[in-house]
This record gives sequence, C-alpha cells and structure tokens, in this order.
Amino acid sequence: MKKLNKLYIGVLGTLLVFSACNKDLNLKPYQQLDQSQAIHTAQDVQITLVGAYNRAGLSDLYGGGVFFYPDLMATQTTIDWHGTFQGLTQMTNQQIPNDNGFVNSLWLDAYQVINQANNVIANLDKVAAGDKDRVEGEAKFLRGLTYFDLARIFGKTWNDGDPAVNPGVPIVTTPTTVISASSYVARASVSQVYQQAITDLTTAEAKLPADNNYSANSFSAAAILARLYLQKGDYANAATEANKVISSGNFSLNKTYAAEFPYPNQTAVHVDNTSEDVFAIQVTSQQGVNGLNTYFASSNDGGRGDVHVVPSFLNNFESGDDRAGMFQYDDPTDPTSTLRCHKFDNVVGNVHIIRLAELYLIRAEANLRKSGAPTGDTPANDIKVIRSRAGLTTPATVTLNDVLTERVRELAFEGGFFFHDAKRLGQTIGTLPFNSDKLVFPIPLQDINANPNLKQNPGY
Amino acid sequence: MKKNLLSFFLLLSSFSFVYAQNRVISGKVTDQKDGSPLPGVSVIVKGSPSVGTQSDLNGLYSLSLPKDTRTLIFRYIGYKEADLSVSGTTLNVQLESDPRQLTEVLVVGYGTQKRANVTGAITSISGKEVENTPVTTFEQALQGKTSGVNIQADGGKLGQGVKISIRGVASVSAGTQPLVVVDGIIINQTDLSSNGAATNPLADIDFNDIESYEVLKDASASAIYGARASNGVIIITTKKGKAGTAKIGFNAQFGFSEPSHHRQFLNSQQWLQIEQRSVLGAANQDVLNGYASTLAEALANESLNSTFTTLAAGNTKWNKYNTDWEKQAFQSAPQQQYDLNFSGGNDKTTYYFGGQALNQTGIIKANAFQRYSGRVNIDSKIFSNFDVGMKLDFTHTYNQRVSNDDQFNTPLEIVALSPITPVIDPRTNLVSGTPPGDPNGDFPLYYDPLISVNNAYYHTNVNRTLGNIYANWDIVNHFTFRSEFGMDQTNQTEDSYANSLTARDTGTPNGLGNDQTTSIIHYTVNNYFTYKNVFAKDHSLELTAGTSYEYSHLMANSVSGKNFPSDAYKEIASAALISAGSSSQSEYSFVSYFTRANYAYKGKYLLSGSVRTDASSRFGANNRYGTFPAGSVGWILSQEDFLKDSRSLSELKLRASYGLTGNAEIGDYPSLGLFTGDAGYNGTGGQRFSQLANPNLRWEKTLQLDLGFDFGFFNNRFSGTFDYYRKNTRDLLLNVNVPETLGIATQTQNLGTMYNQGYELSLSSDNLVGKFKWNTNFNISYNKNVVTNVRGQIINDGADLNRVIEGQQIGVFYGREYAGVNPANGDAVYYLNTKNGDGSLNKGTTNDYNAAQNVVLGNPTPNITGGITNTFSYQGVDLSFTIYGSFGNKIYNAAGQYMSTAAGNGLDNQTIDQLKYWNKPGDITNVPEPREFYANGTNPSSRYLSSGSYVRLKTLTLGYTFPKDMLAKIKVDRLRIFVNAYNLFLITKYTGWDPEVNTDFLASNINLGNDFYSVPQPRTVTFGLNVGL
Repeated sequence: MKKLNKLYIGVLGTLLVFSACNKDLNLKPYQQLDQSQAIHTAQDVQITLVGAYNRAGLSDLYGGGVFFYPDLMATQTTIDWHGTFQGLTQMTNQQIPNDNGFVNSLWLDAYQVINQANNVIANLDKVAAGDKDRVEGEAKFLRGLTYFDLARIFGKTWNDGDPAVNPGVPIVTTPTTVISASSYVARASVSQVYQQAITDLTTAEAKLPADNNYSANSFSAAAILARLYLQKGDYANAATEANKVISSGNFSLNKTYAAEFPYPNQTAVHVDNTSEDVFAIQVTSQQGVNGLNTYFASSNDGGRGDVHVVPSFLNNFESGDDRAGMFQYDDPTDPTSTLRCHKFDNVVGNVHIIRLAELYLIRAEANLRKSGAPTGDTPANDIKVIRSRAGLTTPATVTLNDVLTERVRELAFEGGFFFHDAKRLGQTIGTLPFNSDKLVFPIPLQDINANPNLKQNPGY
Repeated sequence: MKKNLLSFFLLLSSFSFVYAQNRVISGKVTDQKDGSPLPGVSVIVKGSPSVGTQSDLNGLYSLSLPKDTRTLIFRYIGYKEADLSVSGTTLNVQLESDPRQLTEVLVVGYGTQKRANVTGAITSISGKEVENTPVTTFEQALQGKTSGVNIQADGGKLGQGVKISIRGVASVSAGTQPLVVVDGIIINQTDLSSNGAATNPLADIDFNDIESYEVLKDASASAIYGARASNGVIIITTKKGKAGTAKIGFNAQFGFSEPSHHRQFLNSQQWLQIEQRSVLGAANQDVLNGYASTLAEALANESLNSTFTTLAAGNTKWNKYNTDWEKQAFQSAPQQQYDLNFSGGNDKTTYYFGGQALNQTGIIKANAFQRYSGRVNIDSKIFSNFDVGMKLDFTHTYNQRVSNDDQFNTPLEIVALSPITPVIDPRTNLVSGTPPGDPNGDFPLYYDPLISVNNAYYHTNVNRTLGNIYANWDIVNHFTFRSEFGMDQTNQTEDSYANSLTARDTGTPNGLGNDQTTSIIHYTVNNYFTYKNVFAKDHSLELTAGTSYEYSHLMANSVSGKNFPSDAYKEIASAALISAGSSSQSEYSFVSYFTRANYAYKGKYLLSGSVRTDASSRFGANNRYGTFPAGSVGWILSQEDFLKDSRSLSELKLRASYGLTGNAEIGDYPSLGLFTGDAGYNGTGGQRFSQLANPNLRWEKTLQLDLGFDFGFFNNRFSGTFDYYRKNTRDLLLNVNVPETLGIATQTQNLGTMYNQGYELSLSSDNLVGKFKWNTNFNISYNKNVVTNVRGQIINDGADLNRVIEGQQIGVFYGREYAGVNPANGDAVYYLNTKNGDGSLNKGTTNDYNAAQNVVLGNPTPNITGGITNTFSYQGVDLSFTIYGSFGNKIYNAAGQYMSTAAGNGLDNQTIDQLKYWNKPGDITNVPEPREFYANGTNPSSRYLSSGSYVRLKTLTLGYTFPKDMLAKIKVDRLRIFVNAYNLFLITKYTGWDPEVNTDFLASNINLGNDFYSVPQPRTVTFGLNVGL
C-alpha cells in the first residue's frame, strides 16, 4: 500500500514537473501597440497625424532648434554666447564636428515628422471623405515644411552654384515598416528637395481649410511657400503667396509688438495663438517645449540664460521703436549688465513658426525685387504697417535696404533669419563667405555610417 | 548552516559502519570556538577504517573499540581532522574549524556538489569573510576577494548602482550584470530609479544574513541557468539554524565616513586672474576675427566686470570673499548598525531569525540610507523522508537621495560656483541665491545646490519581500524530488518635493512635487528530481532534471504637481495644478527545462554535462526557444598512485569545460514593431512609430572554454587555483544603427561578435600556524575584451568618447588626440592623425578641431585587477586587511570641458592645474591661452584622459575576543570588540576625486570610465562589538 502511494505521488510529481509550466509566452506590451494593429481606422490616422505635430514640436526641431542652431552660426556680432553646451559652442565658433549631438537630433527628429506624415498619407483611404482633404493637407504641410528646412540647413543655399546638382537630403515618402534595400536612400539634389517641399505645400494649401483652429490651415501652407520662394529668389511667387495670406483678412497684427510674445502676469501659462500667428507650435505645461526659452530666458524665467545680446545690437533700432523694448538689461540702470532678448520668457509660450508681420516683409521685398506692378500693396505701405505698430513713422518710399533692416528689427532671433537671410543675400557671415563649406551643416556621422549611400558634405 | 548541509550530505552518502566489539569509549564532540556540540562527526579507528560511528545531535558518541586501538580519528567537514590517542573510557574532543574546508561542499544551480568533484570554475566566499564590512551592499564588501570578478560602484552616493562584471563584459546592448540567485530563486535585479542614476536593488539584502556566496564563472558551472548565464551567476545562500541549544548573536557598530579625497580648485585671487586673462584672450580673438575693430572696443564687449560684481554679492572689491565651495558639498557622516539573530533547533526543525537596523549618512550632503530587515529561515523534517522549509526576508529601505551627477542641484556641482561668491549672502543673510536675493537668476553663477539641501528632498522607500518555500521528498532510495516556490515582491515609492525657494532650479515658482510608485511581482516555480548513487563502489552518479517557470510583472505610476499654497505644504494633495501623471506596465516570462549529470570514476576521473532549454516572451515568435548545453571533465591527479604518496603535493586537479550560455537581458518587447501612444499635442492624444519589428530576434550566445587546475601542497597549507578562459559571444543583441531617414535610429538585431579572454590565479597560504596565525589570500585576474564584429559600425551611447569599434575593447575611448599648445600663439592643437600614403598617421598638428581625425585613445576598463588579504591572529587578537588593485584603464573627466578649460568655456571655477595657462609667446605648457567662450581646446579629446590605475586598502579589521573563562562568569558565550576601516588609503596618479568612478547619469555597457562631478568613495571607520549568548 505504502509503495503504491509513493508511486502514485511520484507520477503526479513528474507530471507537475514537466507540464505545469507552459504558461503563455505571448506577452503583449501595455503602453504600445503592435504596428500591425496601429492604423486601421480614421481615428488611428488622426492620432498618427497628432503624433506628427508632437514630433515637430521636439526641442531640436520646431520646438526652436531648427531656427536657433542656424542663427548661432551667424550671430558672431549680435550675441555673446554664455552657454556651456559644447555642441552649441561649436556652432557659435562655426566649427561643427560631424558627430555634433544637436545636429544629429535635429536630423532624426525631422525624419520622424516625415515618417509620421508618410504613415498618414499612406492611410488616407481609411479617412472619412469629409475629413480626407484636411488630414492630407496637414500631413503634407508638416512634411513640406520639414523638407524645406532640411534642404536649407544640410544643403548649399539655392544661390550657391547649381541647386539641381548640389546634394540636398534623402527624400522618403513611404512609411517605415521593415528595413530593406530601399531603406538606404541617397541624397536628392537641393532643387529636388525644394520641389518636394513646394509640391507638398501647394497640395496642402489647396486641400486645407482656411480656418483649422491651431493646426495648419491653407494660409499656413501659403505662408511657408512665400518664405520658401523668397529663399530661392522666386519673387513673383513669393509675393503671390504672401499676398494670399495678408489679403485673406484672417489674420491681423497685434496692437503692440509685445503682445505677440505673451507672458501674462509674468507667469508661465499656455496662451493660444494670437491673431498674428499664421502657424505656431503649441506648448503647454504638460507637453511640448519652447527650446528658445531654454537658451534666451534667464533662469528665473525657466531658461539657462545662455544668450547675452551684444549691446551694440540696440543700435539697429531707431529711438522710439517699441521693438527695442524686447531687449532689456538685467539691471536697467546698468548698461554693463547682461542684455537679454525677452521674446521667449514664457517657458510654455508657443513657438512661432510664421507670423503675419513676416509676410508683409516678404511681400514688400518681393515686390521691390520682382518686375511689374506690386502685388497686393506697395512696399512702402507694407513697411508702414510694420513700423506703425512699432510706433514709428515711415517715408513715402522704401528701398530694399530699408526692408532688410526692418526684417532684422522685426524678426531678430526668430526663424533663423540671421543665417538664412545672410545666405540668400550672399553676405559674409562672421568672417566666412556665404558659400563657405563651414556654413552648411554636416550630415550626422551616425547616419553616414549607417547608410553607405549617404555622402557627407565637403569640409567634414 | 553549512555544517548541517554537510552532515545532510554525509547522511546521503550512506556510510555503513561495521561495529566491532571489545571495550567501549564515549565522549562529546564540541566546537572549539564556542563549545557547541557537533552532531554527525565521524569517529573512526585509525588503521581500521571500517570501525566507526557518528556523534549524535548532542555531539555524543559511543564506540566499541577493537583491542589494539590506539588512535581515534575525528572527521567533520569544515573542521580540521583530529587524531587523538585513546586512554580510558571517555574522550571529549574539541574540533577546530577550518575556513578553507568550509567550501568542501559548494552550492550550485539546483543542488550542491562536493568541492572535490567540481569540474567548473566556481569561487566560494564565506559570508563570515565579509560580514560587518561598513558598506551598504554585499558587492562592495566582496571587492578584491575573488578573482575574475570586477566590482565597481558608480560613485560614493549611498545605495547607488554597482557594476559587477564576471570575466569581462560580454554584451554591447543587453545586460551585463551576473544573475543573482538567493536560496535557489532568481531574484529581481531591475533598477527602479527614475532620476537618471541607477539604484542598487541588491541593497535590499542584509548581507549579515548570508552564509556563503558562490560565483559560477565558467559555462560548466553556469549553463544550468541557460539563457541567463552569460554574465556568470552569483548564488547566495542564507544562514540556517543548527540543532542544539538556542543561540543569540548581537552585533553593533558605530562610526563615521568622510570623502576619501578632495579636489583642488582656484581661490578668489587665482580665479579672478584667469578670468581676466580670458577676457583679454577673447578680446584679442575678436579683433583678429574682425568682430571688433579695436582692442578697446573688444574688451568693452567681452568685459566681465559687472558679472564679477554680481557674483561677489554686489561688492566691487571682487575678492572680498574666498569660498572653498568643494568643502561645502560634503558633510560629516555618522553611521550605525545593529544586528540581532536567534538560531537553534532540534533534530527535526531548525530555525534562524535575523534582524538588522542600519543607518548610514552619506559623505555628500542630503544623502542617507537606512535599512530595517528581518529574516525567518525555518527547515523542518516533517516526515523521515520529507523536509519542508521557508526562507523569508522582509526589508524596508529608506534612501535619501540626491540628483544624478548631471544636475545643477546635485551637491558636487557646487564646485562650478565662483570662489568670490560668499556661502551666505550678507545682503539677505540667506544661502547665496535664495530668493528673493536673486532677481535676475544670475547670482550665484549657477543655482546653488545648498538651497536644495534645505528646501528639497528626494526620498526612495522600498519595501521588499523575498522568500521561498520548498518541499524536499526522498521518494525512494537515492531519488529525491524538490519543489520550490519563490516570490520576490518589490514596492518602491519615490517621493520628491522642491519648495518655492528652489525656483531657479525647478523653473517652477511655487513648489514642485513628484510621487512615483513602482512595484514588481516576480515569482519562480522550480521542480526537479535528483538521483544520487554509487555503483559497484567506483562509479558515482548524480542526475538532476526539472523545470522552472518565471514570471515578472512591473507596474508603475507617477504624478506631479505644482502651485503649492505655501512651503509648509509638501504633499501633492495640496498642489493646485496637477502638472503630469503617468502609468505603465510590462511583464516577461521564462519557461525552462534543465538536466545535469555528474559522474565520477574512482573519485578521480570526473565527467559532467548539463543542458537547459529556455523559452522567453522577450524573443521573436520565430526564435523563441534556445538550448544551452555544457560539458566538463576533471582529473584528480593527486589521487593517482604515482602521486598519492607525495609528501608535499596534497591536491592536484585538472579541469576543462566548454559550453554555451545565453543572455536575455533586453527590454521586455524588443522583437515587436511598435507604435507608442505618448505623442499627444496641445491636449489631444496621439501615437508615434517607436520601434522596428524583428520577429527573428533570438538569444545572444556565449561559448566559453575554461581550462584550469587546482593544487595544494603540504596538506593544503599552500593551495591555489589557476584558470584560463575564452568567452566567444556571437549573435550579439545589438541596438544596430539604421538609417535615421526611416524615422528611427536603431533596431535590436542579433549582430556581431566579441570575446573575453583571460587568466585568473588565486593562492592561499597559511604562512604561520600555531598560536600566532598568519594567512594570506591572493588573487589576480587579467581580462582582454575585444569586439570582433559589429559590421563596421562605430556605436555611440551618448558619452563624449566611449565607442564600440571593431578590434577594440568595448567602450574604448575614441576621439581627437590633444597635442598641447602652440607656443607661438596659445592655440590648443590636436594631432591631425590623417592617413599618410603609406598608411601611417600624420602626426602634424592643427588648431582646427574638425581637421583632426578620431583615433583610439585608451581603454576604460582595467585589464588587471587583484586583491590580497592578510589575516593574523594571536591569542584573542585578530587583524585582517584587504588591498585591492586595478590597473590598465583610463578615466575621462567629462566635466573637464567645464572645470579644466583655462576659463575658456564659461565662468566655472577651474581646477588648480589650469593656472599653468599659456600667457605669452614662447610659453611651453599644456594649458592653452584663456579665451572666454572661445572653446580653445575644450572640445572632447585626450586632454581630459588620465590613468585610472590605483591600489587601495579596501578593508581593515582589528578585533579582540575576550577569553572564554572570563566570559563564563558573566554568562556570555562570546564577546569581541573591533575596529573596521574601509578605503583607508589610496595610491593613484589620478588627480580627480576618485579613480573608482563611472558617472551615474551616463553609466552603461558602453559608457565606462567617465568622471563627472562624481562623488568619491567614502573613507569609513567604525567601532563595534559582537556578542554571543
């Protein structure tokens, strides 16, 4: 009996050992979805589009870096850099190593936006008919905007040599699913990348509604097109696109210049777009980052205070110009104390991507440069709009130089214009000619190593 | 406990004693150390080995002796053999414990094995050797005690990450820490810290409860753990009670710690001198570059005069104050520790109850660690063939932490502040920079960490329950079944708060709170059969086969709040704005089957083999199962006839093993293509593509060869072990760089190979025996790590210089080679290192950082480590010390770009060596001309590399045990008083705080050997006593 019992229990034990354990090995993640299940419905496409804005808002990209890094290369006489991030110091010294981490992040973030947009565009068939144009338009707006900025940061400027020959960046228009031979994309030419941006932005302009809350609308696309055409010297188109935005009547300048940089009661709160914003990246206390605040604002306003403005920069302003008020000494009574730009003091302030004032300046400049009758209004009238708001009077006629000076006063430290304007105008930057190899950003070394079809820019 | 385990083992081996007749002798066998009875001691008649008996539970024995008996032999494993001549009818014996023999039986995976029969590379360390070391975790105590194991703390903060590598680092992207098994159960080793600096999950273990550590180093020993074993295995066995009278043990120690080394920075006058020189340097450059037309204009632009006044708390006499900020980061650090344990039992049931209260203060301000733990170990023979037991450890730790090394509020970043700034601002009588004394956020230079010391906290509470229950059933002769259920439950809360005065740091004017809870439930079920038998006298066989199931589930949530009503309210209940919140979960499982066979012929030819098959949820559906076989052979030459009679040689064993192990320490879902729903925008939810699929992902595999021998001379008075090993790792679980134009930077693939190859030698010698005893233990290890294939990639994990490059050690320093200073103009110059036509490197120099090519600059991991421990005892006095040495690596001061820049990158205070800056044409120096913000030579390069070799007196113990007869009067069994010291001295050329460093915020498999305001190791002295009742 006892032996039988033992045998019985022994068999049971054996069964326990060899069978009890085969529990499920197919464990699924909680916070993520398998890519095969991620995009099936219209809502899935919409949230992927939201993800594209999220990626666009990263600090190295439209959170601010995409404008700030080029400016650092071109502000030798306007700022005194006090930052200790070597990767940024390298930009101020116009000596960027090919493994600069900030540049790598900008590049990767940009292609994340593009991939998100590609996922949306590839799945438009899932979107309800009434929504389809809007969704397509927003995705193509973000993709076009991103390609335009990539082309002018990583490629030679349009007016340097032959843009049809100069390498731009790889063009990817399909969503990433697996790695295959076609994943190793070579660089398209500068003009091909511009063309991709123009096609995307033109489609976006056609498909987007005129009003789309804080998301991209048809005028956002027109505005970026205007900036793009100005950059490539296509003044007729620049004037046309700028005019569309201005004449739409959907936007108006804020009463005061300072109102475009809201910081209510000096407290960090999200403020919706102003009437002047044509497109802005939204920042809230819970999501997004204002990367310009990080470097311009003092630590009391949530920044690092790395950018000190050189006092002589104030010489750009005529007396009585309200816009000079955005530049204040830490100790107002002591002109030897630190001079800061206060445009970005709200740590959760939106990042302006393009605003109406720039379009007046684009239209004025384009009208001055293009042949034929001015589109929309005369340059003098456009400049007058800008200057009146700043509390200044305007002569009856304005020169190209007047417009360019006005751009500096109006747009300083926004949009990367110190760099991009100097390049399109063929001006010396620091001590370097506008077409110096050192003024084209390096393709990140990590990607050069990962993709044998990717060729580095000269000088790196 | 070991004694019991051994006697158990002895019982299993089923000696059959033949009883003879004639006169009877009886007596009691006791432990010489404490007089406790020793059960299970073999008592044998010399010359007639078949005549003998064993002592009973009370240590009593009785034996009928053949007529001519002259001598009795008393043998007990773990004790020295006693040969005593017989006279009369009573013979009481005291046996002396033999620390070397304690390792006669080793705990191995799913069982135990006689040391003599072990064919794998296993090091055993007795818990006694390290108990009461005044550190937080057992790894720190083990440093230098064993060969082939490299242990390094990230820094000197309490309870922080410790890196252990056994025989080198065998993976680039997957885990490299050894598997830790406590009482047969794999424990959770997940770092749950959320502040960017790892904490140590092993700090939850009170190591005074540990009986022994077995380190499984080669494949033969570790392959029974299959896919988890590539990094080696540490098996921890906790203490057990032993039959006999109840015992009470009490330990107490008190002491204090201080930084083991200080670093020198400039004083006010020196700092002002170099800063002013750097203004001039920058102005000169402005003129040369055409940014200013005259030097006067440039000097006006570059002037720091108003900044100096600001930093000097508004004084125009800038050097009015002279603050040594470095000293301000540290505090005097008392510590105390109490241990109390009860143990005992009868022949059926034994128990061990242990408890500890530990309270340590960090050498860095705001840092402390407390641990309260209890342990219950019960083993009971409920039937003659059925044992059950339970090991249960419950621990509460409370860690007052500081931020990671890369935060302005971490105490040691205080050294960046200017010496001209006073600690207390006389204008406010508050710590400098405390609001409202800093209207513009520029006084002091950076946020003063001292403000956080009093106005912010970061408390981590961990409650952990680690235990298992087991049943062991001797089904029939030689055939045993064992079932174990283990549970490791970790609940952690991190509670942090910073009040309104820290606004400059947090960017939040009215307080910022964050609470985070993470819990892990991790359970294991092991079921296995063991069969042990001896056939035909000469054939000894041992078989083990079973299964294991392991499941782990992590749940985490967090909430942050702002806008507290006042600084008196600190809980998020009071936050007017809930600014962030999150929750997440993840899980993994393993299903495993294992078997092992050990065979010995005539006790001298040994053969062993094991196979384990693992399946894990972590791997791709196409490659979920992995099988890991290993085999080994051994030959005990000293048992051969031609050596058996050697007088000098007492042991010689040759060993060889070869086998396959795996590594599965990657994230929980690396094989899946994923979208993550964390990509919201302006309050609307969104998703983003976050991971590329790889359904073929499989185990990383390491094939390891081990050749070794163990030897002993003069009855093992002098003994040693030597091993050669080669670990070839292939199918590396590698985060491979993919084209970023895909919108993603890496994919986890099985790509690449690397190897570790090395030698280990350990020696032990009883130099003096007798009244004055002197024992020396010495170990030294050499390891060479080479990454042989990563498909030509250069892999970067975010540190300045650490890279993975084919043909080099993992994490090798790779970058520009600093060539010093051009004497003509003060420019920092670098070697070009471009390739010449003949393949050699162009050693010309350039001041253009970008023109210089990257080259290999040095290794971050020491290739030689070793330790020597000397133990002396004379009468009641004992003295023991361990010296640890580490050689062949370099350290990169990642903060050199701030603290050693010749004032060229910001106004941070500078290390004293920067005073040797280039000042005028013709100056020969390594420190370039100071040029404010011109980054003259401050980019990452070999300028900030230096030798990291060191020798350190790790531990020193001096104790005195009072004589027994004296204690008997006060009914105390044992009383010892002692002094413990830790890190008493250091010999190194490294000029930073401490060469034992790897900054916590960067630390990874690749990012090694970086210093970044890292806290040095503490130097600790404690006084204490051990009492036994």
